[in-house]
Amino acid sequence: MKLYVPHAGHMEGLQDLLACPEDIYAVYMAGAPDYVGTGRTNLSAPGLEEIREQTEYAHEKGVKMEVVLNSSCMGGQHLTPQGFNKINWYFDQLNKSGIDSITVAEPYFVEMLSREYDMEVVVSVLSFVDSPQKAVFYEELGADTIVIDPAVNRDFQKLEAIKESVSCGLKLLVNEGCLYQCPFRYAHFNFFSHANGPGPKLNVLDDYYYYKCLSLRINDPQQLIKSPWIRPEDLKEYEHITDTFKIGGRTHFPNWILNNVRAYAGRHYDGNLMDLLDCPKDIRDLFYIPNKELEGAISQWKRCDKVCIRCGYCKRLTERVVQIYSSEGEQQLLQPLNTERSI
Amino acid sequence: MRITDRLSKNRGQLENKLRNILAKPVFLIEEDIFALPCGCCGITINTRGLQADDLEIFEEHIREYLKAASLDLEVEPSFLFARLVPGTAEIASLNSRLLCSRCYMDFARGSGKKPRPDIYILNFDRRE
Repeated sequence: MKLYVPHAGHMEGLQDLLACPEDIYAVYMAGAPDYVGTGRTNLSAPGLEEIREQTEYAHEKGVKMEVVLNSSCMGGQHLTPQGFNKINWYFDQLNKSGIDSITVAEPYFVEMLSREYDMEVVVSVLSFVDSPQKAVFYEELGADTIVIDPAVNRDFQKLEAIKESVSCGLKLLVNEGCLYQCPFRYAHFNFFSHANGPGPKLNVLDDYYYYKCLSLRINDPQQLIKSPWIRPEDLKEYEHITDTFKIGGRTHFPNWILNNVRAYAGRHYDGNLMDLLDCPKDIRDLFYIPNKELEGAISQWKRCDKVCIRCGYCKRLTERVVQIYSSEGEQQLLQPLNTERSI
Repeated sequence: MRITDRLSKNRGQLENKLRNILAKPVFLIEEDIFALPCGCCGITINTRGLQADDLEIFEEHIREYLKAASLDLEVEPSFLFARLVPGTAEIASLNSRLLCSRCYMDFARGSGKKPRPDIYILNFDRRE
């Protein structure tokens, strides 16, 4: 199994991550936001020299280095002569820094990189490859690897069809906790891309999408179960699709990341599933989902036709297993999901 | 009791009261006590899952709970408000603020509950 592991982007964090690198095939981090930016929040913006040093360090440890520049919206800057030259120069410098692969979401960059460089070109989840046809398009543009949109992580017919349709590598993101068929997905990643990319910084009142993301789960906790994460124990169900898995979570501490590495490399986790999920970090202290209790659910999801109103399996599973943390004095107690109104 | 312990207890108590009345796991993600350069000070309780409908239906109860939480931290509950994500159903925070004289005037001039699109006033004691 090849495990891609997130890295916040500073040398100290990398040293912590790679203290025992046996289970880590590659680490990935964002680059500088001045050229392309990324579609997710970042904690650091390593310069070219730092990327070179960290790449050397990772290689010494036998680990590959990937730089993620997966802005989902460039605002057309890359199509201007100035923008193109700037980005082209940056790609060239990254290539010289010795990195192994580069992840992009913009189709133009896929083609540009595949024609000019030997670095592995990886199509980001933020290209939303969720069908065989889209996978073929990206492969023809020059993709060496495609990270499949997690929206189809539980649609095995689609996954198998994608596998059958392309000969490039496939990668699955295992722990993204985003809402299934999230209505905010494109808008939120576009917002992040502008907030974490070149151009004027936005003076944002509130991250509306994040508020809604959390509010939807609090008001309807079955959304937690419907999110297309893959349990460590269920990786075996995906081995006929790919042997390459990616853990999400660039903004977490090395301790959190290493907990995920242990769980997915060991294919076992005895604890709160929320500990492993990347997206709803803020509600990790609200919900308790005993991972063990989800054993066998994959069998249902493998034959799921995604018409929730006819099925209700995730709703029933939620009612059975999801618990809520509640404060009682200095103690945190677990309570069942359904609480009766007390007035 | 240290102020951190009082804040922690206060947060948990208010969260439990809101959950009981709303029958959903409203989450008080952070409670802070603050002082601003202008002279305003008070408490801010960042919320997740609390929505405008909840506030409209249970306004009286929520006002009383917030008042009690504020008094518990010795912050006079003279100005209580919810901060909304403008144009949406989402409530970002519940607040109790002791207004400085300049900020007081900003609010005293208005008469409605929403002097700004992001503010829903739960209580405003006018000064003599």
